[in-house]
Amino acid sequence: MRKLTKGIAPFLALALVAAACGGDDDDTATTDAPAATDAPAATDAPAATDAPVATDAPDAPDTTDAPAVTSPPPAAEILTDFGVDDDVIRVGLNADLSGIFAPLVTQIVAGQEAYWDIVNDNGGIAGRQVELVIKDSGYDVPTHLENYAEMADEGPDGVIMFSQSTGSPHTAATTESLVKDNLLAIPLSWYSGWAEPTQLGSNVMELYTSYCLEAMNGVEYLAGENSATTIGIVSFPGEYGQDGAQGAKKAAEALGLEVVYDGEGAVVPGSDQTPVITELVAANPDIVWATLNPGTLAEILGGAYQQGLRATWSGNSPSWNYQLLATDLGPIADEVYWHSTYTALWGAVDSPGMTAMIEGMRAKQPDAVLSDSYIVSWTEGMATQAVLEQAAANGDMTRAGAVAALQDVQVDFQGLAPDQTWSGAPNDYIVRESYIYDVDISKFSAGATVSEEGGTGFTLLTGPYVGEIAGNYDFQEACFKAG
Amino acid sequence: MAKLNFDASEPSHLVGLSIVVGGAIFSAYELATGADIYATTLLKSLALGSVYALIALGTVLIFKATEVINFAQGAMAMVGVLFISFMVADGNLPIVGFFWEIPNPIYELGGPEWIKWFLSVIVALVFAALLGLLIERLAIRPMIGEPLFSVAVITLGLEIALRVLANDTVKINFRSVDAPWGNGGFNIGDGFVNWSYFAAMITAAIAFVAVFFFYRSRMGIAMRAVAHDQEAAMAQGINIGRVFAIAWGAGAVLAAMGGLFATQPPVKQTGAVDTDVALVAFRALPAVILGGLDSVQGALLGGLIVGTAEIYAGQYLSGQTAWLGSGYPLIVPYFVMIIGLLVRPYGLFGTPEIRRV
Amino acid sequence: MFLRPNLYTSYEAEVQILPTYTKKVLAAIGIILLLLIPFDIPLITSATDLPLLRNIPVISNGIPPLRFLGDNSWLRVLDEALIFGIAALGINILTGMAGQVSLGHAFFMGVGAYSGAVLGGVSTSSVWGWNLPIWIWLPGAGIGAALVGIVVSPVAVRLRGLYLAIVTLGLVFLGIHMSNTTWGRHIAGDPGLGRDFPKYDIRLWKEEAPLITINDDGKWFGFLDVTDNQKKYLFLAVLFLVFILLAKNVARTRTGRALQAIRDRDIAAEVMGVPEFKYKLIAFATSSFFAGIAGALFASFAGKLPASQFSLALSVEFIAILLIGGVGTVSGTVMGTFFVVLTPKFVESFTEWLADKTDGGGVSAKLAEVVISTGPGNQGPISSAIQTPGYPLNVFDWNLVLYGVLIILFLIFEPLGLYGIWIKIRNYWKRWPFSY
Repeated sequence: MRKLTKGIAPFLALALVAAACGGDDDDTATTDAPAATDAPAATDAPAATDAPVATDAPDAPDTTDAPAVTSPPPAAEILTDFGVDDDVIRVGLNADLSGIFAPLVTQIVAGQEAYWDIVNDNGGIAGRQVELVIKDSGYDVPTHLENYAEMADEGPDGVIMFSQSTGSPHTAATTESLVKDNLLAIPLSWYSGWAEPTQLGSNVMELYTSYCLEAMNGVEYLAGENSATTIGIVSFPGEYGQDGAQGAKKAAEALGLEVVYDGEGAVVPGSDQTPVITELVAANPDIVWATLNPGTLAEILGGAYQQGLRATWSGNSPSWNYQLLATDLGPIADEVYWHSTYTALWGAVDSPGMTAMIEGMRAKQPDAVLSDSYIVSWTEGMATQAVLEQAAANGDMTRAGAVAALQDVQVDFQGLAPDQTWSGAPNDYIVRESYIYDVDISKFSAGATVSEEGGTGFTLLTGPYVGEIAGNYDFQEACFKAG
Repeated sequence: MAKLNFDASEPSHLVGLSIVVGGAIFSAYELATGADIYATTLLKSLALGSVYALIALGTVLIFKATEVINFAQGAMAMVGVLFISFMVADGNLPIVGFFWEIPNPIYELGGPEWIKWFLSVIVALVFAALLGLLIERLAIRPMIGEPLFSVAVITLGLEIALRVLANDTVKINFRSVDAPWGNGGFNIGDGFVNWSYFAAMITAAIAFVAVFFFYRSRMGIAMRAVAHDQEAAMAQGINIGRVFAIAWGAGAVLAAMGGLFATQPPVKQTGAVDTDVALVAFRALPAVILGGLDSVQGALLGGLIVGTAEIYAGQYLSGQTAWLGSGYPLIVPYFVMIIGLLVRPYGLFGTPEIRRV
Repeated sequence: MFLRPNLYTSYEAEVQILPTYTKKVLAAIGIILLLLIPFDIPLITSATDLPLLRNIPVISNGIPPLRFLGDNSWLRVLDEALIFGIAALGINILTGMAGQVSLGHAFFMGVGAYSGAVLGGVSTSSVWGWNLPIWIWLPGAGIGAALVGIVVSPVAVRLRGLYLAIVTLGLVFLGIHMSNTTWGRHIAGDPGLGRDFPKYDIRLWKEEAPLITINDDGKWFGFLDVTDNQKKYLFLAVLFLVFILLAKNVARTRTGRALQAIRDRDIAAEVMGVPEFKYKLIAFATSSFFAGIAGALFASFAGKLPASQFSLALSVEFIAILLIGGVGTVSGTVMGTFFVVLTPKFVESFTEWLADKTDGGGVSAKLAEVVISTGPGNQGPISSAIQTPGYPLNVFDWNLVLYGVLIILFLIFEPLGLYGIWIKIRNYWKRWPFSY
């Protein structure tokens, strides 16, 4: 929905803000604009060659309160342009905080606030404090673009990169500008097309694996464990659903599974799902792969179960929400659903990163609701921090410098997610690992906060797991070509 | 109520006849080839139709009294079912439950669970009625005499505000309404029937009977008089303000009941409130229009027709998804509405507007 | 006639677009302001170019109170207001002048956007596009939408009032569904990512270098140094003025009078020889034409949009514009558009400013804390935290709630909208000092 919002005494606001904004902009935006436009581009990577590149010292970092990645030391002289000055680094979050994904994204953004609080407590990056510029897109493309314009500008809200850009269409709408403005963005989307070097993905920094490869792993593991011969596929239409469905189909083909129901793109959220359930139950597959959202998954899973389908289900990570365990569907999901993810889940894995994250959340936001979203926050934060520290080590913290630094970055997520790089050809750097969990209602604590001992209802089955199909997959272009 | 005088020269009658005959032939065939699926489909469509009819009835009651079409019916449904969730799942009184927690006294008492659930729902419905009264008093009453279009847009504003508040309360959670029948049910052959289907149908039946008798009471007659002509009714000493208030209170209660069943099968399998409960009410708008904006029996029939069309299309056209487009059940209500209006511009039972020169 | 605003000596004088001197002067000032808003950097590249112009401070430094509007982010919002203005003028013809309430305006915008995209877009393996220049695809977008409007109107003419409103609402859902079918995807692209839309650049035919660039930086005509954002703004501002002129002209022709007659009493109009069907059809077609143009501009401005963007919320926004501006007048519609599109941005800046105040000390911080809740100590209704476990809500949710409340309050206290406020102010000063 469009964010057309607002109005505390609009007329009063109008007058006040007009005054406030006018004042601000006189000083900052207008004066340095003409001089700054051609400065950063020319000085692309002067210091890059002689900088101390990524010291991979594997000594265990001090995990008490430092989530920090092993960081190269910053260069003595650091070049900056927008979003960075002598004291502050501004990082942007163009996030959906009031639209349909707000419940999830508010958690992720809050988690990032906690993450950067800790980074700042430990001295920040290259002696500078990190300041987040958070704007709400309301899951509306034009609003997202407005926010983008503001943060890509040279004004007081100008940022060096985006540690969160919610939404596929929204991020896709900015890709051209991202290249033009030399900005990096981490999308909250795992479409395989983001890894295409020339197309959408130029300055888009995808974290973890893609829907497509995740589906390959999931189907391979699911089929192996259940000795399946037939598979059903249900998915949303579009870049999310069909990317996952294509991955599942590729895996089914390689494994010799028969696709008895092909519901690629057949499910539209919000409508009655009778047609899909009818066809799926009639086909009676051994396993089902779903690329849906939690509400729709609940309807199809529940409906098909009641009509007698006893397949084992799994699906792309966004299909599941652990809060479903609190509903009537809980026991059914406990019985038949396996959850596939890109990351480790809250407390389900024991690693330094996990300990640091749990302690960090407890220290900074003790009242926050227990959720797996904070792992996304943490990994987004770690990846952003790694890029910024690399840029600082290269001595070039301009926007172009951050883009260049991405090539040298190697992020160690300390067990929160598979480690990642972005240099070379996509085939070299795309992440192929995913995690598969069994949904376990006994490990689910409803309404807990991060400070309490509790879980989000999972038992780790395998992970980080790379199946043969995903491991050998030759990535040339997106699994599903979206317009 | 319209009488069944068949006239072969009237196109609308011919269309109606062909639908009835076609439906009968189709039903006979399906009954012969797959009676179990046909029976479950029928029950399912009646249940969905009951949900639509409940929400539509609220809209019609409000329209009859105030001549305003309430676009906020969906948001009111969502807030209403949240009240129920507060009472039965959290064990707190609603409204106040948004801010502070005051325990629900009913659950302190002894007695069987389902009676406590039932009583709590009744109390939640009372709170929903209070919400309706509040909305009427604050947003609708000041607009008496203003253009109806403006009032309709006020309800759109209400829809936005209420829905954001409700969504923010739900957040990522699925708030259970802990219905005593759960998601249980029984099998008919290969088909499955939930208990909630019957609960929805019984509730709708009770609501319609109650409204039917209410319209014969003193207050109901006053309401009909107001619907007929506000000024004349006022001149007869009818308290229009009270009529408005009762209509909005009743509308909010019906919305909450519709919302309750919008969290149950066949609409949702989770038995819990999530953020798209309000969207169900948007699919009930075609039912209102198809039945006729100011007709109670129209709301019932419209709801059942739309619900039946949606479920039957979903069940029996699922093989045609390739050319119908995925998710086609979503637009079936609108399609049925447009066809219906082509034949009868004021819906099945709507009163044609009297146009004067 | 300078001080006798209500004295008209002929019908021609009364139906002029700008009947009085005051209006002429105000309109001229308005147009100049509109065109100068983006320039807060020197317009002329060097002092040797046209030195006279350079010495005018407004051109070299921007218009003082409106200077902040020249920021890129504000320009974007203004651009959007100009595009929405065109669409709002369209719905004003249908709903304001002809009295046909439509909730389907977003549908017609979508039809326009995709007609334009097919005509002007680049074809790929998955979407159609003929890559035609803007002077074909932009009018084509309008004509495509108008044709669909004509197809829809026989149904619409049969329906009245709220029945029509709900049926047009159904169109929005049908439209989004159609974009999801196999053939719809060739037009609308992927349901998730959407498709690329043509750019504003003006070409004669399909040549490489555009005749006038609008999407990229670079001088215009060799000496006008304008950025891409300013170019887009100026392009849209000129189009906006053209469409205001068009809308004004619809209102004062035979068609406009016929539409108003139908709105006021349709049977009486028919008795007087105004064919209802024909004029309602014209109203639908014209309104859809405006919507189509605006839709194409809107989509092209975003560059890439999914079809779900043309949703009910967009339609509702136009109804809000119409009611807040004042139904049935072009100037009211323009005011309403700017109000509805710009208010969120102002309020957002206001809440940001307020939140900053809580960090400081003194009286202003105390005042800000009445509204903003920063922790357990104070309980303002707005929480400064992003994730709130319940009450208080975060700022972004409040913004939406307040938008709904704003519509309600506006309609309760000023049912005639901004235009009504303007009339009251004008009448006050007309009677001054004897006003009360």
